[in-house]
Amino acid sequence: MSYVIECNNLSRVYESYRKEEGLINSLRGFWKRNYVSKTALAPTDLKIAGGQIIGLVGANGGGKTTLLKLLSGLIYPSSGEAKILGFNPWDRKPEFLRRISILLGQKNQLWWDIPAADSYNLLMRIYDLDLAQARKRVKDLSEILQCQDQLHVQLRRLSLGERMKMEIIGALLHKPDVLFLDEPTIGLDIVAQTSIREFLIEYVSDHDPTVILTSHYMDDISQLADRLLLISQGSIVYDGSVPGFLNRAENKQKLSVELKRPPTTDMSLTETLTLKANEKIFTAEVAADEMGLVLEKILSVSSVHDLKIEEVDFEEVIRDFLQKGLRNGANVDRLPTRVSI
Amino acid sequence: MSIVSQLEYRFNLFVDTCLQPILFSISEVALWTAIFRGGNIESLNGFSREYYFAYALWAAFFARIAANWMYEMRMIEEIDSGSVNSILVRPISFFEFYLGQFMGYKILTSLISILVPVVICLMIKSSTQLERLPLALLLTFYYLILVHTLSSIVSSFAFFFNRIHALTVTKNFVLWFFVGELFPLDLLPERVRGFIIALPFSSGVYIPVGYLTGRVPLKMVGQGFLSVTLGIALFLGVYAYLWDLGRKKYSGTGA
Repeated sequence: MSYVIECNNLSRVYESYRKEEGLINSLRGFWKRNYVSKTALAPTDLKIAGGQIIGLVGANGGGKTTLLKLLSGLIYPSSGEAKILGFNPWDRKPEFLRRISILLGQKNQLWWDIPAADSYNLLMRIYDLDLAQARKRVKDLSEILQCQDQLHVQLRRLSLGERMKMEIIGALLHKPDVLFLDEPTIGLDIVAQTSIREFLIEYVSDHDPTVILTSHYMDDISQLADRLLLISQGSIVYDGSVPGFLNRAENKQKLSVELKRPPTTDMSLTETLTLKANEKIFTAEVAADEMGLVLEKILSVSSVHDLKIEEVDFEEVIRDFLQKGLRNGANVDRLPTRVSI
Repeated sequence: MSIVSQLEYRFNLFVDTCLQPILFSISEVALWTAIFRGGNIESLNGFSREYYFAYALWAAFFARIAANWMYEMRMIEEIDSGSVNSILVRPISFFEFYLGQFMGYKILTSLISILVPVVICLMIKSSTQLERLPLALLLTFYYLILVHTLSSIVSSFAFFFNRIHALTVTKNFVLWFFVGELFPLDLLPERVRGFIIALPFSSGVYIPVGYLTGRVPLKMVGQGFLSVTLGIALFLGVYAYLWDLGRKKYSGTGA
């Protein structure tokens, strides 16, 4: 089987200067620097076949952005090798760069001082695109993303969500075969998140690129990704489907209830949850399979003013998953990081 | 793109291309007037007051073209902050991207600000041979490739060290002297002058301005093109080496 992305023993170690606080330590550090090494990515083997969407998740500093930067050729590895579409990414060959795209949600890739339409004109020349076709593509993509009115406004004057739509058009202009999306919905409101997510779903089904997507939002991953890679402290500790991951993780939901008449005595809801006497507002994380029972017990003592059930933050799901792995005796950080998808 | 960006900010463009060259020219002419009046002299080192006026006027204009501190600071910042990622993932090199930006900016600002010395030359008695202007400009614009290569070398240090702006200031100070912006190189002792003129940096200000004001022969302009070519080849080699080394160290900060 041929793979679009292949890497062997790929790792990256960062070195950074460490200084204790205070003037004396600054003077010491001026003469003698104390450097510390941090393994951002432990030696990793990875194989990804074409046309798949890989959700790459993990806590902040876990190594997911480092992996993306390595695969897109932005940074060199400390060890190992990689082939993306048959190219060594660090060579930065134009033929390779014309076939990939990376979207960094926390970093502008278009030019701040000019309208996106002018940036696209420049990109068309950089990628050596057919101008008529590329302009039509901008028109089509902007129609789908409903942002035609913002094309001719300076990037700096757009909202975060509008800017992200412009960045997405810029990233897709040259029809990349491999797309690296790093937090494409970060900081956006629900409406913008949904619109970008829907666009990506449609784009992927129409064009079939290989996508590696990192996100802090569970909805991004669950709606877009075929497979999920969980990376923790530089190592891939889970490879499988999203539902498989959620089954293995402690699938919790956040419950918030405002009671009309709080109980007069403490009331046990589950083995670990108790509704305290006179507690008018009750907030807790409840296992999804216990939610029905908990609600039933609460409603048996009082009607409610307000009730809210929310998805637990994905970061928390990941943290719980890793803690659960440790509790069960598995050192998740030492799990083999050899993955074929 | 650089021209499009500049046109977005009309006030800044006005100050940059009109107000600044006018003030710069006035201060240069005032300086040389003070020197001649203070010393109560009609010539200095064998050159007339008109020559120095013309030199000061055109040196101010050419020195502004030859300067790249603004783009150099931006290039350093791009590497320092990780914004360079947007170039690294595209089929264009950092060198050519910024060269295009820099040249676009210089073409636009030169086209407008050249009016200042031309108008002053037409108003006062000046030893300027305006028909020599195209070749003088061509040499300086060719020299800009060398300037950009030097800026690329300086900005490559940002891969190894954070906050290297002092290096830009130091390099500019050295260039300020070598290009002949600080004072005409004619004032230097013959041997030192010969050595400095043989370096490619004199093609930034001294040779084009000397040629324009009738002090420098055409042959020296040819030598200027040659020395700039050699300088570009040498500094490009240094830049390529530093860039490769720096890229291996780069951590893609900030993204």
